[in-house]
Amino acid sequence: MRRIWAILIVTCAGLATPSYAQVTVISEKPDAISVTAYRDPDRGAGGIDARYPQGYALISETRTVRVPAGDAVIRFEGVADGMIAVSAVVTGLPGKVAQKNRDARLLSPAALLDGSLGNRVHFRRTDPATGRVTEEDVTVRSASANALVVETAGGFEGLQCSGLPEGLSYNTVPADLSARPTFSVSVSSPAAATAQVTLTYLANGFDWGANYVARVAEDGRTLDLFAWLTVANGNSVSFPEAELLAVAGKPSVKSNFRQLMTVPEDFTLAIRCWPLPSYDAPLPPPPPPPAAPMMEGAYDIVVTAQRRSESLMAAPVAVMAVQEELGDLKLYRLPVRVDVNASGQKQVALLEKRNVPFHLYYAADIGSYDYSDEGPHPLLRRIRMENRKDSGLGLPLPSGGTALFEIAGEQPLLVSTGEVRDHAEGETVELQAGDSGQLSYQAEKLEQRGDRARWRLTLTNANARTANAEITLPLAYKLTAKGAKLRRRDGAWLWATQVPGHGTAVLEFQSNAD
Amino acid sequence: MTPARLMPFLLAALPASALAQDSANPVAPSAQGDVSVTIYNNDLALVQDVRQLSIPGGVTRIEFPDVSAQIRPETLSFAAPDTAIIEQNFDFDLLSPAKLMEKAVGQTVTIVRTNPATGAETREQAKVLAVNGGVVLQIGSRIEVLRDDGLPVRVIFDKVPPNLRARPTLSVTVDSGRAGTRPASIRYLTPGLGWSADYVALFDRKAGKIDVQGWVTLTNATGTTYTAAKTLLVAGEANASGGQGYRSGPYRAQPPVLRRAGTETANREQLGDFYLYPIAARTTIANQQTKQVSFLDVQGVPARAGYEYRVGWLDSADQPQSAKSMVSFSTSGSGGLGDALPAGTVRFYMKDAAGASQFIGENAIGHTPMGSELALATGDAFDVKVKPVVEKRERLSSTRWRTTMRYELTNARKEAVTVDLTQAGLDFWNDDTRIVSESIVSKRVNSDSTRWTVPVPGNGGATVTAVFDTRY
Repeated sequence: MRRIWAILIVTCAGLATPSYAQVTVISEKPDAISVTAYRDPDRGAGGIDARYPQGYALISETRTVRVPAGDAVIRFEGVADGMIAVSAVVTGLPGKVAQKNRDARLLSPAALLDGSLGNRVHFRRTDPATGRVTEEDVTVRSASANALVVETAGGFEGLQCSGLPEGLSYNTVPADLSARPTFSVSVSSPAAATAQVTLTYLANGFDWGANYVARVAEDGRTLDLFAWLTVANGNSVSFPEAELLAVAGKPSVKSNFRQLMTVPEDFTLAIRCWPLPSYDAPLPPPPPPPAAPMMEGAYDIVVTAQRRSESLMAAPVAVMAVQEELGDLKLYRLPVRVDVNASGQKQVALLEKRNVPFHLYYAADIGSYDYSDEGPHPLLRRIRMENRKDSGLGLPLPSGGTALFEIAGEQPLLVSTGEVRDHAEGETVELQAGDSGQLSYQAEKLEQRGDRARWRLTLTNANARTANAEITLPLAYKLTAKGAKLRRRDGAWLWATQVPGHGTAVLEFQSNAD
Repeated sequence: MTPARLMPFLLAALPASALAQDSANPVAPSAQGDVSVTIYNNDLALVQDVRQLSIPGGVTRIEFPDVSAQIRPETLSFAAPDTAIIEQNFDFDLLSPAKLMEKAVGQTVTIVRTNPATGAETREQAKVLAVNGGVVLQIGSRIEVLRDDGLPVRVIFDKVPPNLRARPTLSVTVDSGRAGTRPASIRYLTPGLGWSADYVALFDRKAGKIDVQGWVTLTNATGTTYTAAKTLLVAGEANASGGQGYRSGPYRAQPPVLRRAGTETANREQLGDFYLYPIAARTTIANQQTKQVSFLDVQGVPARAGYEYRVGWLDSADQPQSAKSMVSFSTSGSGGLGDALPAGTVRFYMKDAAGASQFIGENAIGHTPMGSELALATGDAFDVKVKPVVEKRERLSSTRWRTTMRYELTNARKEAVTVDLTQAGLDFWNDDTRIVSESIVSKRVNSDSTRWTVPVPGNGGATVTAVFDTRY
């Protein structure tokens, strides 16, 4: 697991006479790793997009580094490709960190050519008829931006202009090019030591959300609430045996992580020649567009735990996230180490509450008095729960998608999907339970006289059971209702009533645009 | 509480001279001389480069390779003893096969035909007649279009025209009064070099303290590496233009970060009213590099957690809204960070139950004088929420309204908290807004807003009501 390479490299910064040698220590990979996922700050409540996660994570890596005495550069390899280098913090080094550097000059066909400008390279030409390969040493005379001109013994030629298979080969890779953006620190240690170094950084391309599954019991009075913690990693780096955490709440993010992460470099090598007649052999194919770094490779959605809609609460859950406080945020910690795979999604149990009592009611929000009513509209079914311990809940509920199941015959069937925002303990939680096919409302204007209008609001119930209804009306007008009591709630008038089975409930009121 | 100064960073010695100005070979030792780079915040830098050049007497053209690829050539200034400038040129006619062919019109080139069946080669001399959508050649008495049969034809040019270059090239033509080696300095402005500050703040809420490390972050996207450069960072923008590329989102009234501007002077060099942050030793700023150098390291500065919520005029919510979690601290020499802070991003961390640092949010600060009071929102509180409700709107006359507001504050944390609740918009549409009654006494911040400091018990709630009399 631990492999540390200490390589002595004399860095002479391209100068002829190095006055001083610097040691480069390469830390290949972490010994232990912890991933704390944060939600996409620009995403609303609800589920995540596992294929293109737009949130971020705090990655904390423990590495063993053999630090020599004196000045040294420590290179960290195998970091997440979404690393936001400016956020990196390195602790545990014996000396003080003088500089942190991220070098983003990458090895690419264009950079290879660019780095060879003025140097001798091998020019290889294959005769298509005989297969004979001729090679000669040439000097590169133009940079990659436009095309390639090489100086041969006979004169100057353009690469890949003759119609013969031609290519270049190089003796070395220019020293400052690397396969991936590299992160390194300069440190000055008083003595040689083996240090446990912690590298902590933010990385793009993660997201997480809760996925609630609520199953209404057969008596229709309680439900079992279960939630998955769904984490997605869009990076091309896997984090094996990682400690996995997730943070609920909304930390402020002001800088543009995506912009801080991306490498503004053109990797494409465009070799262009002089104009060829249009009826000639086709031009060399255009260079492939630069691959978006986040989208490389195929995506595997790994659902670690099976979705168990048939037996939702039946199989016991072996591992459940543990919630703790983190300032004003909520932290969920997995009690076991897991593999956070590249381009993958992982689900583990977040919380489970059984036999939560709930209140089912039918709602309508009558937005304005000015519309002309076109007929009965369905009332919305809603489930209301109090997030309190004495009401069967009483725990922070992080935002996520919801799926509500009710029993039809023997089977639990999906009734409605929706989303919930973050709910603190003590708040009222409401779940959407679909439109009602059985209960509807109709608002009719009976009379208009100047600013005054008379209205009749009718609720009808086709079910056998009595239904609770809550209708909200705007506060902007004075209302006088006959035979019913209206009260104010949350900046609106509320008419709370019961609609008898196979019956109706009627409210007549007068609005006054005072 | 003195901030740590920049650590010296040792580098290889400078080249003794840079006589060989080989513009074609960037892999050769850099042609740069004694380089000084002054970097401003707004993606702008002043580069000064003193090279030891051997200049002959009379009129000479001197090329300067290894300048910024993004140089603004019009800002170039050249100085060398006993020389007078005739002209400055920036040539960007770049060498490519197409350009090579274009410039060969009227000249003779060698063509080599390869027999596709046998591989036998035949050489001929050809005159390039025109290069318009195809190359028209004269071979002996025949006129041909190059490669119109699709068969392989190599074209060999004898030479490259003098002003076709591999890279954009800066040159100065001077009239030198004498021959000899002397220092020649060039100065120019270039975009592509920029810097900002990044702060790492570890907040210990229980102890009410923060540890702050400050890093200056240099970015080099100029296409050029500056070798062993004397580097000076200016906390300011040399001209006002260019945004910071911050994330745009739905407009939400943000509380101001700077609560009181400081009146203390930091122990740093100044340029005009800008503070200067020199990097102690010469450093190499590589192309495509992001470099961070420590400039501040302070431990145990008093800091306070708090909550704020701002209500716009007639804002009413049917769902509770999260209050902002705030961290307040000072940059004063006594009881604060003790330095002027260059603009940048402050990232807050907090220890979790296992003792690991976790990110709790970031915010941006502007250039902040020493002695300032700062209050930074770290995010939305999960457990502390406010629900503003417009209870009643009553018309008193055609121009006067009476508005009853109720603010329900809830706290799901175990410990009691205090929320700074601000009602804003008091003079947006209206004037002469009065508070008729309020359940606790507020402090009028300004004509537009008033603030209640509301204690909310742990696992409990509090309600504030207020009646406003507005005229418009």
